[in-house]
Amino acid sequence: MDAAPALSVVSVAHDPDDLVPVRALLAEQGLGLDDDVELFVTAHRGDDLVGCMGLAGNVVKCSAISDDERGFGLSARLMQEVTYQALDRGRSHLFVYTKPTNRRVFESLGFTFLAEVPGTLVLLENTPFGLARTCRQLRRHDYVPATRVGVAVLNANPFTRGHEYLVRTAAQNVDVLHVWVVSEDASMFSADERFELVRAGCAAVPEGDRIRVRRGTDYTVSRATFPSYFLGDEAEIVRGAAGLDLQLFREHLGPAIGATDRFVGTEPLSPITNLYNQEMHHWLEESASASPTIRVHEIERVAVGDAPVSASRVRALFAAGRLDELDALVPPTTLAYLRARAHTGQTSPTPSVKK
Amino acid sequence: MRIVRAAVAGSLESSDALVKVAPNDELEVDIQSTVMGQYGDAITTVVNETLEKLGVTEGFVSVDDKGALDFAIRARVQGAVFRGSDEQPDWSRL
Repeated sequence: MDAAPALSVVSVAHDPDDLVPVRALLAEQGLGLDDDVELFVTAHRGDDLVGCMGLAGNVVKCSAISDDERGFGLSARLMQEVTYQALDRGRSHLFVYTKPTNRRVFESLGFTFLAEVPGTLVLLENTPFGLARTCRQLRRHDYVPATRVGVAVLNANPFTRGHEYLVRTAAQNVDVLHVWVVSEDASMFSADERFELVRAGCAAVPEGDRIRVRRGTDYTVSRATFPSYFLGDEAEIVRGAAGLDLQLFREHLGPAIGATDRFVGTEPLSPITNLYNQEMHHWLEESASASPTIRVHEIERVAVGDAPVSASRVRALFAAGRLDELDALVPPTTLAYLRARAHTGQTSPTPSVKK
Repeated sequence: MRIVRAAVAGSLESSDALVKVAPNDELEVDIQSTVMGQYGDAITTVVNETLEKLGVTEGFVSVDDKGALDFAIRARVQGAVFRGSDEQPDWSRL
């Protein structure tokens, strides 16, 4: 083969025409193009696109190399350029979700294996220190010696009476309850706002002295930011995201703080959440593992009137300016914040800094 | 030199190495190489000596070596540390 293909960078927002061949190359390899990809590094031989690799936040995704260009080190060149592009945007910590058969390829590109859902996907990160460091920090800052240590992972968009009931019930059943607030900014309320509301809400309940609130780690895999372009139906996507998230919790994050119990709300209306909760029983309680079993508790959703309290109901009322009706749905700490924010006329999503 | 931000130098192409550094409160070094079996000890020595000469006593340093010669590894380690630090290197020590 003659000279190496030439690399260039395509901005998804600014160069829509350049995406046409990218989409075609991905399709050729049986892949789709996810909406959240910000840029592609592309490789051309003459006028032909022969390789591409995308970046979305801190996730490397939508990579494809045409069949006759494989085995010449092109993926290493693409990854190197993606790494530099990410670093230019202040992102040094990158993740890859890919088919298990691609694990070796990404390991040779400097990635370290994190977790696998057999037959579905693997998760890797671009540093050998990431997960171990996070676990060490958890152990150092959050470990509390106790017999029963519970964990609840919340998105809390925003913190409602439902979340309040969940953390109170959970806290009554354990010696210490860790509440982890998902850090990503894919919500109406920013990660900072959600964290503050959870912190204030947990401090105000009678069980507050045994609740420790912190931000979720980079190792909380959520469906909202989960790349699914190479997976099949919704059920497989949920199982994939849940399988990675729950294994990381069972094998690494949970043991770092000595977790014995995990608490989760039921969602009577959402088959997806129910599927997730089933996966939780499987990965935390049933699957074989060197790490201790973590008991899963599903906490019944509280209802106000005949409808369950949900954050989406709160968001809808807030967006419609019907603040008077929120009294029953959110605790006073959240209500005060929503009032203040409505007062400044800010009912649309707050802009926040992307990691 | 103190590493205050994440930085990268080098590439994953054959005969080169990709070196990544990041802040940490102790020194942790990870070395992967396509020729670990043959030259692992030599590579480790070059990396550790270079860090020592630069006065790097804390930070994450990961080296992905694709068969680079020792001077290339030394240059990549130096490059990543310079980019990750706000201090001026003491050239006379290098």
